[in-house]
Amino acid sequence: MMIRTILAVLGIFCYLSPAVAHHVLGRPTYSLSENTTTPPSVQIETQIGKYFVTVMAFPAFPRANEAGRIHLYGQRIDGKGSLAAPITFKVHDDNWFATNEEMLGTQMPLENIYKQAFIFNKDGDYIITAEYNSDGEPYTIDFPLTIGKPLPIGTIGFFSSLIFVSLISINVIQRRRMQRMQTQRHHDDNGLS
Amino acid sequence: MTDWLNLNFIDSLRLGGEGMLHGGLPTAWVTVTLAGMVAALIFIQPRQLTHQQGTVAQYTTAFLYGVGRLVMISPHWLIAMRVLATAIFLLVIAAGLFGTAIPERNLATTLTWTLWWTGVIIAIYFTGSSWCAICPWDTLANWLVRQRIWFKSSIAKGLNLRVPKWLRTVWPASAMFIGLTWLELGLGITTSPYATAVLALTMVTMTTISLLIFERKAFCRYFCSIGRTIGAYAELSPFAVRPLQHDVCAQCKTLDCYHGNETIDPCPTHLVIGRGEEIRYCTSCGACVFSCPHHNVGWRWQSNPLQRFLNTHMNSSEAWFILILLALTSFHGITMLPIWESMVHATASWLNDRGQLMMTFSLFMLLALFIPAIIYSVAIKITSLTSSGIEHHRLLNQFSLPLLPIAFCYHIAHNLTHLTRESQGFITVLANPLGTNTLPLSMMEKHQRHLYPLLPDNMIFTLQSILMLLGFIWSIRLFQQRRVQLYLSSIKTLPILMVIIGASLFNLWLLLQPMIMRM
Ligand code: SF4
Ligand code: SF4
Repeated sequence: MMIRTILAVLGIFCYLSPAVAHHVLGRPTYSLSENTTTPPSVQIETQIGKYFVTVMAFPAFPRANEAGRIHLYGQRIDGKGSLAAPITFKVHDDNWFATNEEMLGTQMPLENIYKQAFIFNKDGDYIITAEYNSDGEPYTIDFPLTIGKPLPIGTIGFFSSLIFVSLISINVIQRRRMQRMQTQRHHDDNGLS
Repeated sequence: MTDWLNLNFIDSLRLGGEGMLHGGLPTAWVTVTLAGMVAALIFIQPRQLTHQQGTVAQYTTAFLYGVGRLVMISPHWLIAMRVLATAIFLLVIAAGLFGTAIPERNLATTLTWTLWWTGVIIAIYFTGSSWCAICPWDTLANWLVRQRIWFKSSIAKGLNLRVPKWLRTVWPASAMFIGLTWLELGLGITTSPYATAVLALTMVTMTTISLLIFERKAFCRYFCSIGRTIGAYAELSPFAVRPLQHDVCAQCKTLDCYHGNETIDPCPTHLVIGRGEEIRYCTSCGACVFSCPHHNVGWRWQSNPLQRFLNTHMNSSEAWFILILLALTSFHGITMLPIWESMVHATASWLNDRGQLMMTFSLFMLLALFIPAIIYSVAIKITSLTSSGIEHHRLLNQFSLPLLPIAFCYHIAHNLTHLTRESQGFITVLANPLGTNTLPLSMMEKHQRHLYPLLPDNMIFTLQSILMLLGFIWSIRLFQQRRVQLYLSSIKTLPILMVIIGASLFNLWLLLQPMIMRM
């Protein structure tokens, strides 16, 4: 009874109150900027040293042999200015044993934005490294970049084979078990054990 | 390895554009909810409940009786629903693998994360664990291993081994729940159609392998975090598969519900439905409904599910699962606060974490798990020190149950925001599930979605307030019930009551905050 009374009072109160609209604007988490001609494939916002750094890679789905670009923007945490030191962009394969780091280029900011273009000739997963010095300290930002789409057939193939191999091997084991049990039963029936 | 071409693009770019925030619960609603909570604290007194009250007298078949009856007449309805759910699931996988990578335009991400994962939690209250009855990965695994989606297969497939004793807990499900939360909030698979499809395939593979190795449905009972979450929350639902007459079950000699018969499988999760215990493991599969020779089992509506808890006893893995559920649902809310980002950035710079800041994220997640666990353990320790004769672990297990409604109601309240504000445009996605030739949502579209949620703001706030209050009332009633059952005074159990109040207030505070939109 008491619960119902509380809920009724709450319900009436809520409908009598004026609607409060909150249209607060904030930073994008999963989104892209509308003013760019294409959406980014990665957008990373991080804090490193005294800077908030935002990195984006364009286009949304970079492919091999097609031009793409990286945009990097660094703003001081205290809001007093932007990153202005030269930044060196490097790349290596995204795997544990990758040693073949290559240089993409060194850039200065254009209207506060560092823009580094690239063309890959092979699909795959890469790590882009941006290096710079600020206040005498070296800084490095790593972020992943996938060129081309992961092959769906490969994924389906992987899972299908996993299931298939499990089905076959368990089936074989099960058949052997049944045979063993039958032999055992046969022996027992004939008093051979 | 690569060829490089250096170019300088001079196009206009506006960095750090605007994302959308949902408004939090207005202060007026919070004030009323708080007043309700205070009233609940003052007026809810322990009632002496008897076991008779928790039996068949409490089950009324009026509501949903028609639907229940329809499903009970023949398994074909259930089979049809399983086939439909499986077809949709396969479409999700196809969309994830072959469709666009734009999450808000791909069926895989929109259906899985915005509609299903938010909706299924809300649906539990009205349909109990019915999701498990039509679970597509379980259906696919059954079909692969037993070449059946219903009815018993004639020869034994798979090894049918018993699950080792040390694995017969819900710890594996807890580990999977933690892992899934990490993938969802940390790695952000909710915004990757491809990763969503891979996750779906992983679920099918794990279910199949488990079905191949272990007897019955060990995956559903011990390993599946989704099933265990649904099962735990379904304890609070009035809708469940139950016996009609307890006397009939008490006198039953064959226990077909447990053993199965020539055509119907035994209970996949080892339940004797007539005993009415461990209802949280029921997957609503319907096997007992059809195998019972007395037609004494069906989907039922119980007017007061709290009565059921008189017979409910948790073991320690189940108790910790509830605590993990509570911790991670609140953590989910924390990660959507605007302050989250600055917290992560500040910590990452202190830790010198780089890239996707996964180390920092994992650290926060660990804290989110450990802090509530420590607080709860300390409260239990104090109570056990003052109440001689009751072991610490018994208290810890029994008092975990009152935390369940807090997690459940906050989970629904939080999901309500996602569902009503982010699921718009789903019809468009349905018309083009792979999102072929689509562009990401523009700021204009985002604003449109934000301005016109599925339900009016006032209604969302009202529902959220009611949910928070209900969760608190349920929790207090369960707490009082447990306290009386264990013959403990209110003073001795005050630390546990403080944990309940603290968790409820924290969740209410989370709802008060604006929340960052996911898609
Ligand atoms: S427990 Fe998991 S695998 Fe089993 S039916 Fe439910 S959701 Fe599916
Ligand atoms: S057989 Fe009955 S008790 Fe067992 S899981 Fe299925 S519906 Fe629930």
